[in-house]
Amino acid sequence: MTRQIIYPEPIEQAISAIESWLESLGKSNVLGQYSLSRRSLALLLLQKDPTLWQTLEQAPQQQQEIEILLTVAQNQLQYPLDLAIAETRQKQARDLEALTIQTTKPAANSFPETLHRLSVNPLTGFPILIVILYFGVYKFVGEFGAGELVDRIEGFFEGQINPVVNQIVAQILPWQPLQDLIGNDYGIITLGIRYATAIVLPVVATYFLMFSLLEDSGYLPRMSLMLDRLFKSIGLSGRAVIPMVLGLGCDTMATMVTRTLETKRERLIATFLLSLAVPCAAQWGVILGLLAQKPAALVVWGGLIMAIFLVMGYLSAKLFPGTSGAFYLEIPPLRLPKLQNILTKTWIRMKWYFWEILPLFIWASVLIWLGKLTGLFDLIIRGIEPFAVAIGMPAETAPVFLYGFFRRDYGAAGLFDIQQQGGLTGNQLVIAAVVLTLFLPCIAQLQIMIKERGLKTTLAMIAFIVPFAFLVGYCVNLSFNLLGVSL
Amino acid sequence: MDCHQCQKHCHSVKNKPSWWKRLTKKPPSRQMLARDGNIALVGTPNVGKSVLFNRLTGVYVNVSNYPGTTVEVSRGITKIKDRQIGVIDTPGMYSLVPISEEEKVARDLLLQESLDVVIHVVDGKNIGRMLPLTFQLIEAGLPVVLAVNMMDEAENLGLKIESNALTMELGIPVVLMSAALNRGIRELKQAILQSLSSQSKPALANLEVGK
Amino acid sequence: MNALSKVKIGQVQTVAKLGTQETTVRRKLMAMGITPGSSLIVEQRFPSYIVKVGYTRAALDREIAATIFVN
Repeated sequence: MTRQIIYPEPIEQAISAIESWLESLGKSNVLGQYSLSRRSLALLLLQKDPTLWQTLEQAPQQQQEIEILLTVAQNQLQYPLDLAIAETRQKQARDLEALTIQTTKPAANSFPETLHRLSVNPLTGFPILIVILYFGVYKFVGEFGAGELVDRIEGFFEGQINPVVNQIVAQILPWQPLQDLIGNDYGIITLGIRYATAIVLPVVATYFLMFSLLEDSGYLPRMSLMLDRLFKSIGLSGRAVIPMVLGLGCDTMATMVTRTLETKRERLIATFLLSLAVPCAAQWGVILGLLAQKPAALVVWGGLIMAIFLVMGYLSAKLFPGTSGAFYLEIPPLRLPKLQNILTKTWIRMKWYFWEILPLFIWASVLIWLGKLTGLFDLIIRGIEPFAVAIGMPAETAPVFLYGFFRRDYGAAGLFDIQQQGGLTGNQLVIAAVVLTLFLPCIAQLQIMIKERGLKTTLAMIAFIVPFAFLVGYCVNLSFNLLGVSL
Repeated sequence: MDCHQCQKHCHSVKNKPSWWKRLTKKPPSRQMLARDGNIALVGTPNVGKSVLFNRLTGVYVNVSNYPGTTVEVSRGITKIKDRQIGVIDTPGMYSLVPISEEEKVARDLLLQESLDVVIHVVDGKNIGRMLPLTFQLIEAGLPVVLAVNMMDEAENLGLKIESNALTMELGIPVVLMSAALNRGIRELKQAILQSLSSQSKPALANLEVGK
Repeated sequence: MNALSKVKIGQVQTVAKLGTQETTVRRKLMAMGITPGSSLIVEQRFPSYIVKVGYTRAALDREIAATIFVN
């Protein structure tokens, strides 16, 4: 390198001191394992690099010596060491930039620039945000993906694959329970694989397509900055906008994405809200169909869930110690998305997601199989019945809550059947929809929660969510009765 | 797709993942590494690193969690002339001193993998604030190539970058490119090849970082 | 010296000091080009701060903006 960065004198002195100290240590140097130049090591130590510092703890003597060198250098400077080092580099970088970059014409006020201003101006930005969510999430993922595509692929499975599997299984396996493991209502192929490919895959594919489109166009960071303030009031930051929107597609996937949040508190609140009050596409898709004939019921359901999301977010922000994460985000320029980029991104994500989720669905069907085989499920259903009655539902809705936890569609679709037989009033439909939404969405999400947040945290959340879901159902029923509401 | 003999082997490892291997979640294989050299893409988020990675490797990549973390690392193979070169796409990093888990993974990769070339991908519109990382990579003694990406956007803003002057001042190869438009990929590959052949032995040994 | 919350929108300012106590935030700001000596323009304050540094934009929340001082 022709131009080495020269740092302020006290830092340079400290660097050479550390360099020769490192050299003198020879083999006893615990930092010798790092394949970095001595100058680089010295600079990292001066910036109190956490990894190096941890390594140094193995040799307290060496750590002490470094500490002294650090203090000496720091005493001669007015700024913190890391700031002084960074500033030297920044200045050098600015000089080099000035030397090698020419501006040939002033930047024109281009179309992307105008679009940017529209997308972040509060007057136009919020309407744009709503339009994008409406068409991207509701229309494309909800109606097309979760509705149209799911119907078709599901129909193909029910019509073409399941009968064949069931027939083969019936012929080659002599024992009924073994047949049920592979085929029939809850088999690995007929439930696990069908569910993963027919219900989850179309939703995920359409969602990832939309998500990649938004990502490639550079809109996502703008969405975050528009919603940061709102999210701050529920203990989150603008960064959590992406997992929350993702949750409307699939909560399991969204729970995985909470990894990108910066503080533990934020990850915790986001996971909690996702499992409590963010319905996934499969769920709100079926509920939408269920309540479609009763617009008033739909509004009550939507309003209740939204209110619970905000109130519980606000309360958990008060309850969990700490403050919302700081929000700072680079805003890349808006640009025309490239089809090939979008397809590649969607493909890579889908592949990764599918391999992550498929095993979970297989385990779920094995669990259901075991539950039915051992009679454990009947026991649980009998346990749920009094609760179902308490929230004003007929006793035959009890299985809906248990199976709804394994199969999102089954819960709501089961209600559909009961309603077809004229068994449910509008009030009961709203209560059931609210309780099912608040209830854990599915077993896959539970598994991811345990994987991401740990067993203890997950159990604590469940211990709150399940009684809370029924309690809300009870309260809604009570207020319907008291107010004489009939939907 | 016609497979080179070696590539075929690698594809069969990838394309037919055994079911139970997936279920039991084995650690990512290192089979995609070490052929005729290994390179890593380094840089801050939003500089088109993954687009460049996709351009270099195609869609046949292996995405896996970095051991012990939830951070994803993509590995793939790029073909330059008749050489098979392993490519690692590191998570976004701002500085050699890591703050986030992603940055820690990126740095561990830089220190642990035996890399023959480190490509620092920067945004042509914002070279000034990305050069500090270039300085740090050079200071660390890593074999750096500077890939100035998103040149199309920079040119739209009326910016002209003197790559020769940058090469002179930094003492490393500099390539101007626009990965999204497929511009400059060939030049980058050329620079990688030159950098590889100018090194008689891998500059870095495969060393363990203390946990 | 003024905090970002006090400066006029659309005017070029020179950063004088980063007052945040959090190392993480300070480093990220510096990585985005907001360092003492660099110039920036505040483009808007609501719903989030948007500042332009060189040819890039960054969004910041109120709390961070209050710790950035300019001349």
